[in-house]
Amino acid sequence: MMRMPTLSLVGLSALALAGVVGPASAQTEINVIVAHFSDNTVVTFQNAAKRFEAANPGIKVNIEDVSWDNLQQRLATDIAGGTSADISIIATRWVLDYANNDIAEPLDSYITPEFRSRFYENLITPGVVEGQTYLLPILASTRVLYYNKDLYTKAGVETAPKTWDELLEVSAKVKEAGEGAYGFGIQGKEIETDTYWYYPFWSYGGEIVDGGKSGLASEAGVKATELYKSLIDKGLSQPSPTGSNRQDIETLFKQGRVGAIVSGPWLRGQIASEAASLNYGMAAVPTGTQQATWGGTDSVMLFKSSKNKEAAWKFIEEGVFSTETRLEFTLTEGFLPVLKEEMDDPRLAGDESLKIFAEMLPVAKFAPLIPEWEQVVAITISALQQVYLGQADAKTALESVAGQIDGLIAQ
Amino acid sequence: MHRPHLLVPFAMLLPSLALVIWIIGYPVADLMRMSIHSVNRFGQVGSFIGALNYSKLLDDPLFWASFWRTCVWTVCITGGTIATSIPVALLLSQDFAGRSVARLIVLLPWAVSATMTGIVWRWTLNGQFGMANAMLMNVGVIDQPIEFLATGDIAFPVAILIGILAAVPLTVIIFLGAFSSLPGEVFDAARIDGAGPFAIFRRLTLPLIRPFINIAIVLNIIYAFNSFGIIWILTQGGPANSTDILVTYLYKVAFQYGKMDQASAMSLVMFAFLILFCGLYARFAIQERKW
Repeated sequence: MMRMPTLSLVGLSALALAGVVGPASAQTEINVIVAHFSDNTVVTFQNAAKRFEAANPGIKVNIEDVSWDNLQQRLATDIAGGTSADISIIATRWVLDYANNDIAEPLDSYITPEFRSRFYENLITPGVVEGQTYLLPILASTRVLYYNKDLYTKAGVETAPKTWDELLEVSAKVKEAGEGAYGFGIQGKEIETDTYWYYPFWSYGGEIVDGGKSGLASEAGVKATELYKSLIDKGLSQPSPTGSNRQDIETLFKQGRVGAIVSGPWLRGQIASEAASLNYGMAAVPTGTQQATWGGTDSVMLFKSSKNKEAAWKFIEEGVFSTETRLEFTLTEGFLPVLKEEMDDPRLAGDESLKIFAEMLPVAKFAPLIPEWEQVVAITISALQQVYLGQADAKTALESVAGQIDGLIAQ
Repeated sequence: MHRPHLLVPFAMLLPSLALVIWIIGYPVADLMRMSIHSVNRFGQVGSFIGALNYSKLLDDPLFWASFWRTCVWTVCITGGTIATSIPVALLLSQDFAGRSVARLIVLLPWAVSATMTGIVWRWTLNGQFGMANAMLMNVGVIDQPIEFLATGDIAFPVAILIGILAAVPLTVIIFLGAFSSLPGEVFDAARIDGAGPFAIFRRLTLPLIRPFINIAIVLNIIYAFNSFGIIWILTQGGPANSTDILVTYLYKVAFQYGKMDQASAMSLVMFAFLILFCGLYARFAIQERKW
């Protein structure tokens, strides 16, 4: 925030001088807000800015690092106060709010066909609202099944479970092997509790929004919920999942206390640094009637209020999406690449575990673009928790939440 | 005696009054404006919608559930804190070796923010890796870990206990001050007259510290009503909204659901409650001065 007074001062003095010495060769400044993926994120973007400034004298790029927890609130405050940056990274699922309230600049007039062709097209789609492209993805991520090879071997299991039924059997064997380990970790608390349930829900053919209505109370929804409930009731998951958030089940896995969990690419890096001796494997998320997994992207957005859109776009095209920046980002953060050319790099092409995540991309499903999405998530989590706690049966809880979601969609 | 002109004290109050109006009055006025308009996630004010936000709020079962839970939360924390603090302060006001160390230990938690308290307890109470479970299992009290934060039935009482723990130090300070202000000769006289310690406490101490108890109650009500950190960090109001109090639910409505208009209406309703408490506080404060 310190830069604002300086900026207005510069503006004032420029105004004062204008009459005397004519238009000054003012430097264009671009402010970029970068979400904090890791401590390396801001470094990657600062490097991109340095290279860009060297190639484009006259444009100065300021990078600011904001944590994910504060990002939404920070952007909202800036927008309300009229002090928005020129570019920001946002979660792709927020796009509807930013597009409908005229905050994001549609990018179609800037994007050349050559530029667009460098992307995996299906990763651009989540940032398109009513035919207009508002966002460009900077990363992609999918989820896979992580399983503990040592626990599986001791339980006499040789391969990762292919279906949810197999997962039930394997989990029972892990429990019987008597190492005190749980069969399958279920997340039941805080952010992404709903996501953890979408894995079986989607693989049984469910759709979150089906024909403009909530599809949660479908047969797939009931099946998915009963699957998790039976894991809990048979003691095959950790006890009381409503006490475990994402970090908790990941910690259980790192400690070798759970047979399998579903997680994203970041867990590889964490295991390498925190539990290097863990003997684990990765496999596709188990199937019900079809293969599915959660897919997510985060994106870069250009503010409609930006006064230097041309320069800002230039930085997006030549700075953020230069092959060098993209490779630095993908390699340090461990996500999936969004540009096809990145896979030409031997470090990515030779990464076997990355392939498992990449292979899930074609079957990955993205969060649906509906307004009130955050509220839909909150009431979905609430309903799932009631079932996990045994306070409601699957069908009743899902029907009640589907009714509430229909009301929200209809608004 | 010459009575000072009324204008002087008011003139001297004026600068701070102006500051208060600017700092508190402006946001409240803005909240009022937002609560009768439709406002999007970004705080952009839209069309006038009258009392719709308020009627939506009153129709929201989660608001009412949070409201009643806030009442339980506030009453339990206030009652528990007062009940704990009086004996502790009595003990600490006695003369014994190491009294200053004991006082320091009791008052130290006050220096720790509610957020830090919450984080420490979240780790301590974790069902799988928490210290509380490890200790209980080592001692042999339980043979299976308890998931303290997995159900509202356990998590909410636990949160109340932590809330009491966080509120005790300040309340103890209030009562320590109360005890040191008691006139010694009255107690000496009672003792000479043969009053036992119980009778002294009931008939003398308690009535004499009455104004301090009133202030401690009002301060604790305000503290507990607005206490966000402990519940948010322990459970985020979950599972299934079973530990939501008004402030945590307000945060969700405003910053997770992005309904700034309904959140404005809700915070004004909460503000009205607090005005009521502050009125009580002012009344007790005036009573105390007379005493």
